[in-house]
Amino acid sequence: MTVRAVVAVEDRMFRALAWLRLVVLANALVLNVYRHNFDHPVAGWACVALMVVWTAYAIATYAKPIRRTVRLTVADLAIAVGLLVATPWVKGEWFNATIPGFWIMGALLAWAVRYGWRGGLFAAVVLGGTDRLIRADFDQGNYGYVFLIVLGGPIVGYLVESLQQMASERDRAEREAAAAAERARLARVVHDGVLQVLALVQRRGAELGGEAEELGRLAGDQERALRTLIRSQDRLVADEGPTTADLAAALAALGERPGVEVAVPGGPVRLAPHVAAEVVAVVGACLDNVNRHVGEGAAAWVLLDDLGDQIAVSVRDEGPGIPEGRLGEARASGRLGISESIEGRVRDLGGTATLTTGADGTEWELVVPKERS
Amino acid sequence: MEEQARLRVMVVDDHPMWRDAVTADLEAAGLTVVATASTGTEAINRFRATHPQVVVLDLQIPAPTGVEVTATVLQDDPSARVLILSASGEQDDVLEAVKAGATGYLVKSASREELIAAVRRVSVGDSVFTPGLAGLVLGEFRRMSQDPGPAMPPGEQLTDRETEVLKMVAKGLSYKQIAERLVLSHRTVQNHVQNTLRKLQLHNRVELTRYAIEQGLDDE
Repeated sequence: MTVRAVVAVEDRMFRALAWLRLVVLANALVLNVYRHNFDHPVAGWACVALMVVWTAYAIATYAKPIRRTVRLTVADLAIAVGLLVATPWVKGEWFNATIPGFWIMGALLAWAVRYGWRGGLFAAVVLGGTDRLIRADFDQGNYGYVFLIVLGGPIVGYLVESLQQMASERDRAEREAAAAAERARLARVVHDGVLQVLALVQRRGAELGGEAEELGRLAGDQERALRTLIRSQDRLVADEGPTTADLAAALAALGERPGVEVAVPGGPVRLAPHVAAEVVAVVGACLDNVNRHVGEGAAAWVLLDDLGDQIAVSVRDEGPGIPEGRLGEARASGRLGISESIEGRVRDLGGTATLTTGADGTEWELVVPKERS
Repeated sequence: MEEQARLRVMVVDDHPMWRDAVTADLEAAGLTVVATASTGTEAINRFRATHPQVVVLDLQIPAPTGVEVTATVLQDDPSARVLILSASGEQDDVLEAVKAGATGYLVKSASREELIAAVRRVSVGDSVFTPGLAGLVLGEFRRMSQDPGPAMPPGEQLTDRETEVLKMVAKGLSYKQIAERLVLSHRTVQNHVQNTLRKLQLHNRVELTRYAIEQGLDDE
């Protein structure tokens, strides 16, 4: 556990305890004034005065983390025990209520807050035991009171420890998030430098021609691959869980293929993982088709449009198009053409696939509802 | 031609090799590079001193960021134009710069000819898009119209035609191809594209104003 979290929880608890101390002090004052049944009034009122002074001192002292010393907690408990022990003498052997009454809760809970469930249990046993020993007549009511103290002390202590643990876990999570953000920032700076140089090599290479042009082309490939990687990594951080997948990130990764340019919205586009995977697979099949029919590394564009309750993905190329009747031919001869496979897979997702083809290129438009698992 | 030859440009890039390469390319093409800068502060100060018509701006520069530089210089001189020339895949930053008023975006791997053409086009008020940027802008309008908050006023929404043109840009079609497909003039296509940017910037300004009013900063 971190010191910061422990102290933060303690601070909160002691602030709450300060109010509780005032309430139980007021309760003790009122009861003692009302009963006014001391055998030795001077000693009795001196005890009450001690409670007032100690309450004020304890509130002021516990407020400062550095002053929550063992000496303070021991004194706190000792005064509560002392007042209990003084009761038979001040009030007479057959007293009913002790002088401090519920006021001893202040010391009990201070121990629980400061030393956890063990501290709470120890203080409860000491106070409960004292209460038992000073009474000549220990009845069922007294037993119930002691029993509750011995239960309550460790329970409060346990809760405080749990809170401290949760607070330090939260602290650690926050620190890790901050560290991850800083790492990401540094990585961006480094990546940007690398991208700058790769782009420059590509550019100068093209200008110089010859062998340098080949080097420039290689630099260009690497530049594109790195840019795609960074973009998909940026999106990975924003991902929330395994119940949905980010289709935008998955499609953006296709930009690594030569000639392919991918346009996606800025934020994540969430779909059930199996739907997202299938859409990416279908788009991949469309792009394979471009390579086969237009040429290896031919230019192709992928656009993801988020329409709210459904998504539209378009895959476009500028090849010669699919000749009239060839699709129908393939279907008629019983061969499962690429078109059939794409249409079928999208239909299985509850969507539609539309093919537009002509002299200026081919475009698949896939519309799929956002099914949530 | 004479008018274009005297086009005044500022180049902002923290990478000296890039700054020199871009400057050399622009000057070889007959443009005047009136200033170069390597940080955001330098960029803003030198912009004020030299009044370039076009700022060729890298987004990854020492503070203030490229997005802040864009907003500041356009506030100083709304007739200036900002062309983003970025190496990294920081799409979010590009979108922010466009919202702040940049009207062009090129990736650094673009060729020298593409760069010069882009500077010239931006200088006459055209916008220079990549399909990737068009996809981002489209996504931004989709997000705004699906926002459960107060509905967007009609002046900030895209018309069906504008959406159609924007989608085509995002699918990699050139303005010429779009004009042919939709049977429109090149100028009209260009206007539709510019309108989408203008509406995005307008929406951004309205959002900022709303935010300022909510935060009680409007009486400053």
